[in-house]
Amino acid sequence: MGTGIQIWSTAKTLATGAIIGLTISDRYLTIVTTKGDSMHPTLTAADSFFRGDVVFAERGCLDKYKFSRGDVVIFKCPSDHNKDFVKRLIALPGEWIRIPVSQEIIKVPEGHCWVEGDNADRSWDSRSFGPIPLGLIKGRVTHIIWPPSKMGRVERKWPEDSAICSVYLQVNQPKGQLKP
Amino acid sequence: MAQVLAALRPIVNYCVGGTLVGLAISDRYFSLAAVHGSSMHPTFEDRTGEYALVQRSGLARYDFSRGEVVTFVSPVDHRSTLVKRLIGMPGDWISVPETLEIRKVPEGHCWLEGDNGSVSWDSRFYGPIPLGLVRGRVTHVVWPPHKFGRVDKRLPEGRVMPQRHF
Repeated sequence: MGTGIQIWSTAKTLATGAIIGLTISDRYLTIVTTKGDSMHPTLTAADSFFRGDVVFAERGCLDKYKFSRGDVVIFKCPSDHNKDFVKRLIALPGEWIRIPVSQEIIKVPEGHCWVEGDNADRSWDSRSFGPIPLGLIKGRVTHIIWPPSKMGRVERKWPEDSAICSVYLQVNQPKGQLKP
Repeated sequence: MAQVLAALRPIVNYCVGGTLVGLAISDRYFSLAAVHGSSMHPTFEDRTGEYALVQRSGLARYDFSRGEVVTFVSPVDHRSTLVKRLIGMPGDWISVPETLEIRKVPEGHCWLEGDNGSVSWDSRFYGPIPLGLVRGRVTHVVWPPHKFGRVDKRLPEGRVMPQRHF
């Protein structure tokens, strides 16, 4: 009889713990394993059990508009909502970007952003699928927590050969074009 | 004093527990949403206090079908959630009204339109919208009482050619 009550009490504690964990993970902070080489050397794929670096991703950033250029973000792939990607945020709504291949200049539409991987050769990003709606962003990567050799903050970094036009031309505006 | 606190403890536990469960259910399974605007007239009329039951896509099965009313994050303002009808799924061909244009809905995207075409800002303006922005489906209107009931699936005639599987 006594054990019945004990089991019930343990079950309640476990259930409460699980719900608290889920709620925190959905709304505040979650742990994600990354895969692939598109963010090398910041995040790298590995042969270990986790197959990549394990990171903390902060969820509150969207509501409070707390992200900025250079942050590493996790977002849903625009052409396959079941896949998540990790890339660096390069440009925010309203900013002008020069597309490397075509040298075309476009304006990042309202509510959208431009993302690129640190490892340009192996990264499938906005240079291919265009600017993505901010609503697809699921979180901002703050720290790497595994492997131990890479533990630490993930810094906001400005890519060297940045595609952003730092000059906002007032006269003779080039032919900008809003992506559909 | 200590006795009062001791008596309150279980009540506080239940309240906190209840809130947590409520939050988790609301984030992942079902929630109630207040609906504004007339872009979905007559399914939703623009009056204060209309509430809909939203089935969340938290389970990530994303088995949405054409004709359902869905909620989604606006592609031009990530802080607003909009309600429109899902007209086209990836691969479908859509005839854009008032033009002779036919557009194909790209992979991973969908075409959304409001029932009240004249005042609705939807895919005819934004273009196809990534499915990743869709947050849930509206299954019922729950308030006001005279509008209580299921929200039906409906497709506009002659506008959509679904993708055919060969």
